[in-house]
Amino acid sequence: MKNRRLFSFLVSLVVIAAFLAACTPAAPATEEPTAEPTAERKVATFIWTQEYDTLNPLYTNMWFVTVLYPIYTCQAWWFDDQNNPVPYLVTEIPSKDNGGISEDGRIITLKLRDDIQWSDATPITSADFKFTYDMVMADGNAVSSRAPFDLTESLETPDERTVVVTFTEPFAPWLARLFAGQSGAALLPAHILQPVFDENGTIDTAEWNKAPTVGCGPFVFQEWESGSFARFVVNENYWGPRPKIDELFFRFVPDDASQVAALKAGDGDVGTFFAMSDMPELEAAGVVIMKSLSGYNEGWYINQHPEKGNPALQDVRVRQALAYGFNRQKLVDDLLLGRAAVPATDWDNTSWEDPSIEPYTYDPEKAKALLEEAGWVDSNGDGVREKDGVDLVLKYGTTNREVRQDTQAVAQQELAEVGIKLELLSFDSDIFFASYAEDGPSANFSLDIIEYSDSPDAPDPNSVVWRCAEIPSDENPAGVNPTGFCDEEFEALWAKQETQVDVAERQQTFHQITKMIFEKAFWIGLWQDPDYFGFSSRIINVKMSGATPFFNVVEWDIAQ
Amino acid sequence: MEETVPPSSSPIASLLPDELEAPPLSLGQLTWRRFRRHKMAIFGVVTLVFMVFYAFGGMLFFSEADANHTETGARLQPPSAEHPFGTDTIGRDILARTIYGGQISIMIGLTAMLVELFIGVSIGSLAGFFGGKVDSFLMRFTEAVLVIPQIFLLLVMAKYFAQSIPNIEMLGRTFSGSVVVIIFVIGITTWPYLARIVRSSFLSMKENDFVLAARATGASTRDIILRHILPNSIAPIIVAGTLSVAAAITLEAYISFLGMGVRPPTATWGNMLEGAYNYIDTAWWLWFFPGMLIALIVLAINFIGDGLRDALDPHSRAV
Amino acid sequence: MTRYIIRRLLQAIPLLFIISLIIFIMMQNMGDPVATMGGRRVTRSEDRIRLTRQLGLDKPVIVQYLYWLVGNDWAKTDMDGDGVAETPGKRKGVLRGDFGLSLVNRKPVTQVIGERLPNTLLLMLVAEAIIISVALLVGIYSALHQYTALDNVITTSTFIFYSMPVFFFALLAMYIFAVNFKAWGLPYLPTVGMFEPEAGKSASQVAWHMILPVATLSFGFIAGYSRYIRSTMLEAMGQDYIRTAKAKGLPRPQIVYIHALKNAALPIVTLIALDLPFLLGGAIVTERIFGWPGMGRLFLDHVDRSDTPVVMGILMMIAVAVIIFQIIADVLYAWLDPRIHYK
Repeated sequence: MKNRRLFSFLVSLVVIAAFLAACTPAAPATEEPTAEPTAERKVATFIWTQEYDTLNPLYTNMWFVTVLYPIYTCQAWWFDDQNNPVPYLVTEIPSKDNGGISEDGRIITLKLRDDIQWSDATPITSADFKFTYDMVMADGNAVSSRAPFDLTESLETPDERTVVVTFTEPFAPWLARLFAGQSGAALLPAHILQPVFDENGTIDTAEWNKAPTVGCGPFVFQEWESGSFARFVVNENYWGPRPKIDELFFRFVPDDASQVAALKAGDGDVGTFFAMSDMPELEAAGVVIMKSLSGYNEGWYINQHPEKGNPALQDVRVRQALAYGFNRQKLVDDLLLGRAAVPATDWDNTSWEDPSIEPYTYDPEKAKALLEEAGWVDSNGDGVREKDGVDLVLKYGTTNREVRQDTQAVAQQELAEVGIKLELLSFDSDIFFASYAEDGPSANFSLDIIEYSDSPDAPDPNSVVWRCAEIPSDENPAGVNPTGFCDEEFEALWAKQETQVDVAERQQTFHQITKMIFEKAFWIGLWQDPDYFGFSSRIINVKMSGATPFFNVVEWDIAQ
Repeated sequence: MEETVPPSSSPIASLLPDELEAPPLSLGQLTWRRFRRHKMAIFGVVTLVFMVFYAFGGMLFFSEADANHTETGARLQPPSAEHPFGTDTIGRDILARTIYGGQISIMIGLTAMLVELFIGVSIGSLAGFFGGKVDSFLMRFTEAVLVIPQIFLLLVMAKYFAQSIPNIEMLGRTFSGSVVVIIFVIGITTWPYLARIVRSSFLSMKENDFVLAARATGASTRDIILRHILPNSIAPIIVAGTLSVAAAITLEAYISFLGMGVRPPTATWGNMLEGAYNYIDTAWWLWFFPGMLIALIVLAINFIGDGLRDALDPHSRAV
Repeated sequence: MTRYIIRRLLQAIPLLFIISLIIFIMMQNMGDPVATMGGRRVTRSEDRIRLTRQLGLDKPVIVQYLYWLVGNDWAKTDMDGDGVAETPGKRKGVLRGDFGLSLVNRKPVTQVIGERLPNTLLLMLVAEAIIISVALLVGIYSALHQYTALDNVITTSTFIFYSMPVFFFALLAMYIFAVNFKAWGLPYLPTVGMFEPEAGKSASQVAWHMILPVATLSFGFIAGYSRYIRSTMLEAMGQDYIRTAKAKGLPRPQIVYIHALKNAALPIVTLIALDLPFLLGGAIVTERIFGWPGMGRLFLDHVDRSDTPVVMGILMMIAVAVIIFQIIADVLYAWLDPRIHYK
């Protein structure tokens, strides 16, 4: 009797489980494999290792979303494979000659095309630009960044086709950020989101953020199943040339290993952010690896804070010894399979870098000589140099990525040979990059060498991490300057370049900046870190841009 | 004269009083006898001894410099004569790393067990002995820790304490401070199980006569707990303690696999598995050897624990 | 009995408060959610300051906990950064059912969890069903055929499986059934996700994709339970009443399944209920390895981004579920075993 109850309990469990498995879970009806043969419908499958957090361009910093801007959103201009601007929503790139930029460089005028419209056939007008601007600046919206609008005085719309942006100071990096680039704003549909904002006082929670069914790009969003996949289909009302591919399908996988497996097997057409060591396998399977020069470089930022930094690193010779004593070329050849070069500064391969700079070579003898000259001698034979009784021990920290931890171990070994002892520390990236207020190791000057990958505001060379005002301290807990270095002359150069709208003048200033960074070894480059995309041989006509990688997505096609 | 010389004729007469009974065996001897009969437990002991010898004795053959020596040109090489277990992503010899990693893993297991033992026995004994409000309060606290699944608690705590301890220099070697963090985190998430066992043991023991007698002779509470009750409830504590070493080693492996364990370059069997997952088909030797070693030592300890449980208390059906 | 249940429920309430407070405090030191906001570069300082204010992270920990618990629509927040709080908040707090918005994507926490919960439940229920049925079969068989060769094989392998870490088993399984099967041209098992997107979310797809994750989740439990059932069955079969039943000439299946099993399996019922937390824990590793879009992965992703509201939501939900299951286990045990009586 009791046993029957127990038995029936167990049986019912099994039956329920089987029933659940047999019935489709409550999700919407399945996407049936289409009746049309696949030859008719061209689908490109992307394998993404990180899932979107949101699809609203104002709220996300995730690279896996921002590279998609050319697919489902629109900006004023894209950047082509030479990183030159290509007009998109505007008729021409503003310049002094065509009156787009005022004499003093503060006022930028955008002239919009006549034929642009949203995917629901509503025309795109300057009102949408104004709305986007208002949304960025609205107090109720927790947008990820207000740049560059927090440097503007106003944004006016004298008529439906004209947008006038007035900056308080001439702002040289406007080309890379004003309604353009991965860190710039993309357009929001005013006719959809204005009512939401009016009702809630914020668009933080708008439906559109996770389902942007009204868009202005060549493809429009169709669905996003959390944790599994997302789908974009051709925008039937697209104002530009119709894309040749019918559908872009994004599959979310847990990690690199599954991504590489999918690409090799042909289950996916596009992949990105894989390790360099995976590339030979991918190429052997016929995947074409394309490089997007996004301006990222991995390097060591040397802590030179006058009070909190290690006094040993105040001496330029010690810093240079670090560069001479570590064979970075070999590291790149072995760990990265020779696919990257050792950068001299963050502005390598651009016209902003002083052409006379060559990366420090591997010269352990020179490193030892420099250290001896600086007074660091190994008098007690323990393999570590000391001076005035203090050992030369440097704390070297980075995040948990495998290639970084491998680099740490190799660096420790090589620098031990010239008498420098490295203490290795690694952190979870949210902890590592936490602000000074949260005692983040990259901000509280507890580390002597900080390794990570950063870029200037590509394609613009501007960078805020070298500014005196960005040094984190009790008064300024949100600062982002990891070296703690502040010097009048250096700061003056940075302040100057930010206002120099004339390119030639700006280049000169940057030559001086890069020379100083290099010669004084404020930053030691490890490897160039461009973005790599893997394309299966099915996808043709792809061109890669550094700033906006998928800029020519309308031209992509699938070879039959 | 009371010479104990047995006359050879009658069998009953040969049973002299002194030899009617065999001398009583102590608990330890009794346990050992019963343990001996457990074949799997003996196998466990042999394996464990072998592994301890591998990890600590291996120091004689490989120096720590060997374990940390990077050789980027020789990366990811399959097992060969020169590198019996192959090399990892920066050319370090995996055999040497499993030796030094084993030391840390075993040490983490033992120390975490001690932390767990200390907290669990203290709380369990106090709760069981005093009963009433003390028991109620302590048990609510125990339940609070138990209600959150262990892995979740481990992850949250590991991240919380992640950067609190700097690198440690001991015996001429450098250990990442995260070793201490992991020991601490494992210890404070696993004590509830032990506390419950100790508590139920104390609850049943405290009504016994010998406790009454001790109280009557004026023994202090501390004495009663430590010298009278605890030694009698030692059996389940020993078993639980043994098994918790295995659990601690497994937990360390889990957290490392999820990326929040001991930080490199300090090696443990767990964190050698951390990155190896990406190389599942290209470099199987990266995950196979540390994984096998973990499985083996956990298996050995489980066998021993099972044997101990049968030996110490054949009637117990502890879950 | 009802009084007992009510008493347990009431006792659970302060428990939940304590847990939530402890975890909330721990979450504060776990990294800065606005450090990179999921991006590749550090957030600009002006944006950092603004976001910290807008997301309510600049308040002291206790105040943040209070807002989480009872909402902030009775307090004013400073929306425009001028230092003066003028706008009333919008959150109702957990006690009124509002778990807040995720710091990562500003979606309501209940929605974020709700999207993934069914997937994990599916995995767990199927795994539990398989665990119970297989463990019973193996345990009973092993007990009835004690000391035969097969029994020894079973005993040894249960020990081995019981000792193996979950992810090692998963890696081995993947290596054999996915990688190598494919290399040998056999039909191979998929290792990622819940279904092939081109084929859609059909029952057969989900079932096929569930094989490896469910196997990974269950093998350890099957090993443990079958050993337990074996030993309790052996003990039960040695009891006097079984001897009586045999003497009375009852057919063997009746003896085994009705008399012995009934007594041997009682504790299993409560064990199953108490195993919920372990299953959920195992789900984390399993879901991560196989890319199963469930709550375990959600937890890992959001802990990584230091997303307090979602992490708190998940943990509180689990805590409530565990407490309820503990009560169910105790009640079930009392209901099935008339010897047990709660006051």
